[in-house]
Amino acid sequence: MSMRNLKNTRGQMRVIETILAAFIIVAALSFVGIFAVSPTSPGFEVTDLEKMGYSALHDLDQQGLLASLVFNEKWGDLRTVLKITIPVDVYFNLTICNLSGSKLNGDTQIIYGDSATFSNAKNIASVSYSLLGVSKLNPSTGNYEASYDPRILVLQITRG
Amino acid sequence: MKLARGKRGQFVIIAVLLTAIMIVSIGALMHTAITYYKHEPWEEYSTLIGDIEVNSRRLLELSLVDYTNTVGQNETILIDNLEKWQNDLAYIYPSSGIVLKSDTSSGGLSRSWNQAASWSEAKADFTLDIKSIGLTGYKFAATISLNLNIKSVTTINSTHNEITAVIKSESGSPVSNLNKNNFRINDATATAVSPFYDLTDIIVYKIQYQGTLPATVEVWDQRGIRVVGSIAA
Repeated sequence: MSMRNLKNTRGQMRVIETILAAFIIVAALSFVGIFAVSPTSPGFEVTDLEKMGYSALHDLDQQGLLASLVFNEKWGDLRTVLKITIPVDVYFNLTICNLSGSKLNGDTQIIYGDSATFSNAKNIASVSYSLLGVSKLNPSTGNYEASYDPRILVLQITRG
Repeated sequence: MKLARGKRGQFVIIAVLLTAIMIVSIGALMHTAITYYKHEPWEEYSTLIGDIEVNSRRLLELSLVDYTNTVGQNETILIDNLEKWQNDLAYIYPSSGIVLKSDTSSGGLSRSWNQAASWSEAKADFTLDIKSIGLTGYKFAATISLNLNIKSVTTINSTHNEITAVIKSESGSPVSNLNKNNFRINDATATAVSPFYDLTDIIVYKIQYQGTLPATVEVWDQRGIRVVGSIAA
């Protein structure tokens, strides 16, 4: 009779031990999860967007497209090449300034997505990129001309 | 009862060991997960350094275009542009504490023209400090050049000659995207320009022109850098 009681008690204790072990594991996972920087966290997202924006501008610059479009003020073409280069689910807003801080693209917005997207967005990355000048052929002399005339490109990007 | 108690003790030890192994395994697994997605602050600055390097090269390119296309070549254009760029960096990246130093003693702007093998070159060494991240003494060098090598001249008839030439950039690779608008022979546009495959130089240009020898050959690449070579009679 006493053996029977003892067996019953052992079974209950094992159930309690299992529940406690499960609690310990869940608590440990939750605790470690606090320190993890997952792809969905703001820190990771902004860094990822910054890298994406810089890579897009850098690639266009290396192909010789960016300086030509910026210095010839072809804002529509610039928007199109950015739209092709940057993934579809990423929205952008590009502003071009000179060294005195004046906005050079004026009222023409180089934007993909609604302006409300940027005001309501949770994570927005901002990338600054500079261009120093471009060489141009002077048709009258037949020679090329190049001058130092920097432009600052400020690219804001966010996910939709 | 004695035996039963003894067995329970062994089970407890085994259970503790298993739990310990489990916790260590979970810890290792989570550590891997955390470090995989770890936020690396230096990655943000690698883009900044990349931008400065690219623009410093572009500055050499612009200065070389000006130097090789201006009559009475402006020898100080590179130093003037470098000074402006160093000052403007502080404005472009205001809170980064960027100090860029340049040294043109390794070459600066130079050219060797009016020969069968002629070249135009811009060369400078840079040292970059970014105080906001504690980066000091980051060194990089930049070279921009255009080389023209006239390999041979063939007389087609009494009025036309054909020049075979190789044009290479600073990387040592041949420049492949030139057409007759990129060449001028004795101040006149070449009549025909055709690129051909060559076993040694990969791409050679055969340039036909109307005129006699000696001849002056001017070449511009797509960046606008100019080099002038010549062929003796």
